[in-house]
Amino acid sequence: MTEDRQSRVSRRRYLQLAGGAAATAAVAGCSGNSDELDTETPTGDGGGNQSGDDTGSGGDQGNQGDGEFAVTITQGQMDAGLDPHDHRETNTDIILMQIYEGTLNRNPDGQVTEGLAENYDQAEPNRVRLTLREGVTFHSGDELTPEDVAFSINRIVNEDVGDLASPQSDQLAGITEARPVDGERAVDVISDGVNPMAIGLLASYGDIMQKSWVESRGSNEINSDANGTGPFQLSNYVQDERIEYTKYEEYWREPAEVDTLTINAAAESSTRVNQLVSGETDIVENVPPQEVSRINSNDNTSVEAVPSTRVIYNGMRYDVEPFSSLQFRQAMNYAIDLETIVSEVLADFSDPTGQPTLEGFVGYNPDIDPYPYDVEQAEQLVEESGFAGATIELHTPVGRYLKDLEIAQAVVGYINELSNVDASVNQRDFGELAGQLTTGNIEDMPHWYLIGWGNMAFDASQTLIPLLSTGGALSSWSNEEFDNLMNEAGGTADAEQREQLLQEANQLAHDEAPWIFLNRQYSVYGASSRIDWQPRRDESIKAYEISQP
Amino acid sequence: MSFARFIIKRSLQGIFVVWGVVTVVFLLRFSTPGDPITFIAPLDASPALRQRIAEELGLNQPLYVQYLDYLAGLLTGDMGYSYISGTEAATRIFARVPATVELAVAATVVAILISIPLGVISATRRHEPADYAATTFSLAGISTPNFWLGIMLVLVFAVQLNFLPTSRRPIGFTPAMGYLVAGNPAGIILWLQHITLPAITLGTYFTALVTRLTRSGMLDELGKGYVDAARSKGLPETLVRYKHALRNTLIPVITVLGLQLGTLIGGAVITEAVFAWPGLGTLVINSINTRDWPLIQGCLIVIGSSFVFVNTVVDALYAYVNPQVVYD
Repeated sequence: MTEDRQSRVSRRRYLQLAGGAAATAAVAGCSGNSDELDTETPTGDGGGNQSGDDTGSGGDQGNQGDGEFAVTITQGQMDAGLDPHDHRETNTDIILMQIYEGTLNRNPDGQVTEGLAENYDQAEPNRVRLTLREGVTFHSGDELTPEDVAFSINRIVNEDVGDLASPQSDQLAGITEARPVDGERAVDVISDGVNPMAIGLLASYGDIMQKSWVESRGSNEINSDANGTGPFQLSNYVQDERIEYTKYEEYWREPAEVDTLTINAAAESSTRVNQLVSGETDIVENVPPQEVSRINSNDNTSVEAVPSTRVIYNGMRYDVEPFSSLQFRQAMNYAIDLETIVSEVLADFSDPTGQPTLEGFVGYNPDIDPYPYDVEQAEQLVEESGFAGATIELHTPVGRYLKDLEIAQAVVGYINELSNVDASVNQRDFGELAGQLTTGNIEDMPHWYLIGWGNMAFDASQTLIPLLSTGGALSSWSNEEFDNLMNEAGGTADAEQREQLLQEANQLAHDEAPWIFLNRQYSVYGASSRIDWQPRRDESIKAYEISQP
Repeated sequence: MSFARFIIKRSLQGIFVVWGVVTVVFLLRFSTPGDPITFIAPLDASPALRQRIAEELGLNQPLYVQYLDYLAGLLTGDMGYSYISGTEAATRIFARVPATVELAVAATVVAILISIPLGVISATRRHEPADYAATTFSLAGISTPNFWLGIMLVLVFAVQLNFLPTSRRPIGFTPAMGYLVAGNPAGIILWLQHITLPAITLGTYFTALVTRLTRSGMLDELGKGYVDAARSKGLPETLVRYKHALRNTLIPVITVLGLQLGTLIGGAVITEAVFAWPGLGTLVINSINTRDWPLIQGCLIVIGSSFVFVNTVVDALYAYVNPQVVYD
């Protein structure tokens, strides 16, 4: 362990906490009364355990007692600590987005809306001005200031601010600094050049924390306590087990309809579904297709699915045979019956794709259709490529994406139906495979692999640059024309012109077929009928959007 | 050799075994595929970020330096810091121990309550329907996989019948007892409701095993000379069976119970996953999924050490109560 890591949890601080926790537990254990116990029990917090003493009507567990609207959400995993700037992980995000907010926001369809900033304006190609809303307060009671906003953005992009090298710095790519505007309730966000993405990035990332609150606390405290401006405030946090919230009455919008919220976790999908079906929780994430009928056949629960921002594809290395041949790569796309894979393997919880960018993203090209299923065409292209008789092996992770292994097996099955190619599946550990894909050296990568990519910024560039441009973080392709288009788009401040360039890049990617284009994954949830809630495309779950039916 | 020397010798052996466990667990990290940095950094992280993470975690040090650092840490109770959250591994691991111990003990209690009466009935009514029922039960118990039984119990008793909760552990035994002492039984009832299904799941294999052991032990004892002697003295049959024969049967049974407690602590992993039980097992599985090595290593060391500890204690107790044991 180096000093840097150790400093995050100083030994003395830990001993203080441990001593305090032990004392609290001891006191609670000896002097408990029923009120205190209620905060521990799911019957009290609306988790609604269905044991003998529950005399309330089924499906109404959250409304016991004083008519409080209590909601429970069950994820696959809990958080990696409560510092909103010190993680890169969806489960942690969902836990924190109830408490913390950014300056800008997105509606459930992904469009940018105002957040803590009531106004935003691309003042110059490298400068965005955010005008802050009046009357926003932190849960500590203090008012939000431009200094807080500038500090939070700087804490992410600048290692020297707030004693944190944030792993999110590249989520605010290009942004170098934020500074309060003299005499105005505004902040300028500065980029290192033309940055057409800045507003989009601020709408997805960049949670705002209170400067004085962060500066007066050690890392351990920031990771176990919370003080945001969001619709819910932290009431109880048991690391690895659950987090409980109450609604923040002074919230700058209408206070939430949900009075108390609990988020907990169960790694096993069947355990989550059991909890939902028996009324112990209201929303469960990552429902696998085989559990769907169990949820739908229950009177009080239903499956809610929404297209996510994650695309699944088969990358092919352009520098090795037979994938160096354009005809061969195209043949692989013609060889698979994508529609059938989507309907049979994925039970329609997916959409077929024909380009790297997903529908609804900036830069999506509406004129591109997925490759049709055409065995003859595929065989002929293989002959033309000169690689008839090739033997190829698909490297796939298992259990990382919805039905990943089954998709890989289907792809290989279709390719084996060609008379002139032999294909097989190589099941890989995700960590090992991802490690090979991210060394930065194309020669370390498998020749043909299945992987998924989520893009929460709703912009083509956040997929095209890392996955397809020369030298991109996960790129196994290189094409000068494509790189030029991306460079041009990156330097274009005009939104329409940029969109045009990104669409051209997508067309080129479709034609050059550096991937076998597969599916857009869906987020599949199970939800109880005692809540009214719509899932979002960006994989987030905002309890503020939950209401009583 | 005196009893005290025997204890010292066994403890030293135990320490060597634990050291062996630590070494194997440490080396496991280097023989397993999957670079932990891949799980910590985003997929598109720059090489510089990956390098910085490796430095922060000390992963760029030579193997022997990492090993010695780790050993030195363990001696002071420091198991390192979670790769993912940066929190102290030891704190998180020991926070999980009570839940796992509760489950292992509850499973043992379930096993004792069911298996000993069943074994006795089976032995005393040999070749009668009760005996066949008991042997069939124990055969089924030994052949049923834990995870399947757990899922079935949940489907029937929690989802269909709504008798018991499906999973989780909202309150621990100690705080629940605290409330009970203060006159509030709600906590302990809640605890019992939540632990019932996992305890039965985990205890079933064990129940089946001990039933067979009790049955054969009891049959053995009932055939011995002292039983005939007791009977011929005119002692009532109940007294012969339960005071004399059963008592002798229980000596080896208790040894097995003790030894199995260690197995239960390690074997709870699958049961904990099915019931989202916040013990060491769930922590191990979650940590494996994210390659959070300090947590994986710490959990395995705690499980391994508890096994060694229980074995040593059981051996010592056995030697103490059984004068036939020679200390060598």
